[in-house]
Amino acid sequence: MNPNEFDVIIIGGGITGAGTQRDCAMRGLRTLLIERSDIATGATGRNHGLLHSGARYAVNDAESAEECIRENRILRQIASHCIDETDGLFITLPEDDLSYQQTFVDACKKAGIGAEIIDPELAKRLEPSVNPELIGAVRVPDGSVDPFRLCAANMLDAKLHGGQVRLHTEVTGFIREGNTIKGVHTLNHQTGEETDYYAPITVNACGIWGQHIAELAGVRVGMFPAKGALLIFAHRVNNMVINRCRKPSNADILVPGDTVCVIGTTSTRIPFEECDNVAVTPDEVTLLITEGAKLAPSLSETRILRAYAGVRPLVSADDDPSGRNISRGIVCLDHEERDGLKGFITITGGKLMTYRLMAEIATDLVCRKLAVEKACTTADTPLPGSEEKSYEAVAQKVWEAPTTAQKAAASRMGTRASRIRSANRRDDDLICECEEVSVGEINAAIDRMDVSTLTDLRRRTRVGMGTCQGEFCACRAAGLLAKAHGCVERERKDLADFLQERWKGNFPIGWGDTLREAEYTQWIYKHVLGI
Amino acid sequence: MGGGLAGMVAGIALQQAGKNTAIVSMGQNALHFFSGTFESLKEPDERLAALFSAAGIRVHYREGVRLMPLGTFKKAALSLEDIDIFPNAKFARRVLIVNFLGYHDFFSSFLAEGLEKHGIECRIRFLSLPDLDNTKAHGEMRSVQIARSMDRIWEKVVQEIRLMLRDEDTVVLPQVFGLSDTTVPGRIRQSLPARVVFAGTMPPSVPGIRTQMQLRRRYQLLGGTFLMGDEAIRAHEHEGVVHSIATNNLDAHYLEADSFILATGGLFSKGLRSNPFQISEPILGLDIDHPEDRNNWYNPAFAEEQPYMGYGVKTDAQLHAVKEGIALKNVYAIGSILGNTRPELGSGAGLAINSAFAVVDTLLAEK
Repeated sequence: MNPNEFDVIIIGGGITGAGTQRDCAMRGLRTLLIERSDIATGATGRNHGLLHSGARYAVNDAESAEECIRENRILRQIASHCIDETDGLFITLPEDDLSYQQTFVDACKKAGIGAEIIDPELAKRLEPSVNPELIGAVRVPDGSVDPFRLCAANMLDAKLHGGQVRLHTEVTGFIREGNTIKGVHTLNHQTGEETDYYAPITVNACGIWGQHIAELAGVRVGMFPAKGALLIFAHRVNNMVINRCRKPSNADILVPGDTVCVIGTTSTRIPFEECDNVAVTPDEVTLLITEGAKLAPSLSETRILRAYAGVRPLVSADDDPSGRNISRGIVCLDHEERDGLKGFITITGGKLMTYRLMAEIATDLVCRKLAVEKACTTADTPLPGSEEKSYEAVAQKVWEAPTTAQKAAASRMGTRASRIRSANRRDDDLICECEEVSVGEINAAIDRMDVSTLTDLRRRTRVGMGTCQGEFCACRAAGLLAKAHGCVERERKDLADFLQERWKGNFPIGWGDTLREAEYTQWIYKHVLGI
Repeated sequence: MGGGLAGMVAGIALQQAGKNTAIVSMGQNALHFFSGTFESLKEPDERLAALFSAAGIRVHYREGVRLMPLGTFKKAALSLEDIDIFPNAKFARRVLIVNFLGYHDFFSSFLAEGLEKHGIECRIRFLSLPDLDNTKAHGEMRSVQIARSMDRIWEKVVQEIRLMLRDEDTVVLPQVFGLSDTTVPGRIRQSLPARVVFAGTMPPSVPGIRTQMQLRRRYQLLGGTFLMGDEAIRAHEHEGVVHSIATNNLDAHYLEADSFILATGGLFSKGLRSNPFQISEPILGLDIDHPEDRNNWYNPAFAEEQPYMGYGVKTDAQLHAVKEGIALKNVYAIGSILGNTRPELGSGAGLAINSAFAVVDTLLAEK
């Protein structure tokens, strides 16, 4: 058997690609996932990390709302170690129309979302950070989800089912015979190697970049890039998700996640060329802080850790090239049917929340084409790490008397924390003090989760995501990477890239403690350590 | 105001000249991440050497390069004695790099790779000592924790290295020696049959903290009043003259003086503050020139010069601090609070020293 031959090639290492690979692999297909950068580098890792209840869409988009609440329930079961079951509030402020609340609750009920009007006083007790001037509150089953962890867990499971993954590898063209896509040409950005891979079906799961991949295949998928800017605050100000109970607008969702919270988002149409390098503007920062403080007033006093932006993969309907009729729903294109191009499928649109459903739809189509009759089982098979619900129970099982750092590791890795049971006592040494990440956890990620760079490592372990933004841990982690990969030269450049990447998210909010920390980092690396 | 390098040097020099001074110091300052080299000091500074030597701090002057913690080389001249200065990067043929097992703040593999680029053969070995494992039991292994143990057990480390050493002509060790006993680095050098080079670690800097302690001891020995853990919060000014300052700990007891020196540092040390609209000086509200549009404060490239790091308080020729366009008659600004508004005085530790001596001279010439 040719090692470069597969049943299906999936392009894109975001949540849609990872989910699709998992589903395909679980149905017995030989799968290859190709990603030009790292996992979750596009829209997957650049959103709120909100486990939507669907309530936000209930009034205007009943179909999305129903999809969300269904998937919400499924993810709680299969991805418990990626999810924080916080619940959410939809609050009405004096400047909002209180009569909208009833419309909202009715729409939620119709979509099957448990939405309960509660006394504003109770809302303040449940969520002390909420704006005390609220005049109405509805409780819904929102939550928060770690998209990096979710994406990594899907890919991990695909690999456990025999799937292969090529990160930092870009598809540069298609191998085409007549009207059929037979495979892809690729370039590995780290080794410079060019490789061809073959499969009867290729799935385009590249989010906004799907337009480009479709072009390479010779078909057109019209995408409409919409930038959304968000801010991460250095403390977990709120314990429940806080939304505004009004027509969806800018900066009206505040989501707690791990040790931080995230406010967003804005929505700006941008030219396609800007997708690779979206920047947050000072105006967006101002808007996010001002609107965010209306949800939780203490935000105006809270240190901001980072600013970032993602690009939503909105697709224009086929019969409407103007783009006015944009769908936020799931779009699965069978290019054989649509364009007469065999062996090529595009799965796009949708949301982080509905990734599993998107994967199911895409995999159903793949299976139909390959004449494989196997039902989807992703809705009731827990992801690796989620076999046990309570991370504290996991930590107890692994370590007997776990330290707070070990509990933190269990909350990130779920049941897979057993893999880091200290081979030697040095494995407990902390590399990242802000997020309490140990040598053992980092080595486990390097060994088993396709980590090439410090930034890859950050996405899998939270190293450098905390208050110091990598000032202290970057060097330490670079030492471990250099050892694992046996190449210091490469690690030196990697360290510089990592610092640059952190600065990119820091300077748009460069004042106060953020600027202090940045000055310190800049001084240390340049003048003291000598990068 | 400020007990970093600039404030300490000014305080010591003034005490030596018979002035009566007090220093208000928050505690932590830039000496905690001092590299050991006085960058931008181009000439052997006799005056500084004398001041330091009286405090028990030995410096040496030689133009050349020094080894940086990540294995690169940088130009250096005036430095603490801990820092070796080489004529060029190929300072050895074979090097033994010794690290402590479980210590992640000394970058031995980066050092080795950096040295190998210059044709120096390297071997890395890890030391494990029971005493250090006890250190680990009380928290993570960081420079100061190790240094505290090393004051007691450095001789055991020397024994271990003697056994490890083969035909290497040089041993590279982390800068974690001599925190309280300043003779230790010199004694290690004498005890090993190879040249010993101390390379820096992730801050806090052990030589920096030691320097800080020595300067403070010297200052207090000279009769200076060191107000530790306190912070100037307000100055009382009348017609361009400040007559007293209020501090955090002294409540309504104001500190009165003929002259005031502002050595409170840059953004990191909180000598300067910033919000989305401006960079300001919190005690006196001094003038700072910077672009109004925040977009111009930064260079998006991390590695490039950052404009915001250059902003500092305005001063006149004699370093009198300027407020609302007028130079305050008895207030001076020294050290990194100047940003790079006075490039002729240097940068970093060099700026701290040069500006401190300049103001001391002005004050001593007054009467």
